[in-house]
Amino acid sequence: MTRRPSSGAFDDAALIAALRLAAGHDPVPDEVAATARAAFRLRLPGAATALPLPVPAASGIRSTGRAHLLRFGADGLTVDLDVDSSGGLIDLAGRICPPPGADARVEVRTPCRAESRTPSPTGQFAVVGLPPGWFSVVCHRPERPPVATSWTRIRPE
Amino acid sequence: MVDQHTIEAVLAGDQDAWDVVVKRFGPLVWSVVRAYGLSAADAHDIVQGTWLRLVESLPGIRDPERIASWLCTTARREAALLLRRTRSEQLTAEPVEPADPAGGGYAADPALAVLTADEGRRLWRAVEGMNEPCRSLFRLMATAPDAGVHQLAGRLGMPTGSYGPTRRRCLDRLRALLVPQEAAS
Repeated sequence: MTRRPSSGAFDDAALIAALRLAAGHDPVPDEVAATARAAFRLRLPGAATALPLPVPAASGIRSTGRAHLLRFGADGLTVDLDVDSSGGLIDLAGRICPPPGADARVEVRTPCRAESRTPSPTGQFAVVGLPPGWFSVVCHRPERPPVATSWTRIRPE
Repeated sequence: MVDQHTIEAVLAGDQDAWDVVVKRFGPLVWSVVRAYGLSAADAHDIVQGTWLRLVESLPGIRDPERIASWLCTTARREAALLLRRTRSEQLTAEPVEPADPAGGGYAADPALAVLTADEGRRLWRAVEGMNEPCRSLFRLMATAPDAGVHQLAGRLGMPTGSYGPTRRRCLDRLRALLVPQEAAS
């Protein structure tokens, strides 16, 4: 017989969330509900989701000290991303391995806009001036399902 | 209500069905993220990402019973990650690994439990049975979610530095009230 819950049964934040949710005094703001509904417009039926992978130490696509390297993989494709920020906006330089071929198209998506690029013969692409926040890179390949990197949040340092 | 039919409709591309899911679980996601004490802009960002992740992950989830716990886990992980990067605030809770939702009820996650009105009332009945200052502290915390520590402490008539330790003690007491009931039922 113990009065104490088992350690870590749930944390303070979970209990605070429950109290507020049950009290009903903190409704979801309209704009938050609107972005939740709008998220559905970004669905990609049949796409494979590329999940984050560990990045080897020296795999930079370009060598800037401030850059942030990310790697995603799914369905035999690896997407390497080099994320940099300037003036509050985000620049992405990426490489798809193996190179997806001349008919492929790379789309860099944020909740409010999408930029399309044809990757170079070596699978490289770049997009500059993205707003900070969530983004996903999609590789559209002819006769194969698209591969989309899991939504990732970037903000300027 | 979100059932298998709703999920199938969402997977078939039905925006109205998606809106039903957002309406049902939106307050849960918002409350879970807000409990980390993030700014309104950061909270909005984390909520948006949680829904974007559900859009990409739903084909693999499918089960309507799992969606609420999946949303909670995802929202918490992102909120905790952001908090670790930006924190300077003392009063936010350290996240723990999400409990196994299969256990159900408060033992797993009180935010999931109070999705039913009965459990919400039960939680607040437990609060109403507590002594001061816990009862007032929780009432204030729930009714003034945007109030800062200084303001909350002032309204409770305690020094600002006492609010954090008092809140922690009150949360421990409330937890102890809830969990044994769950274990006995």
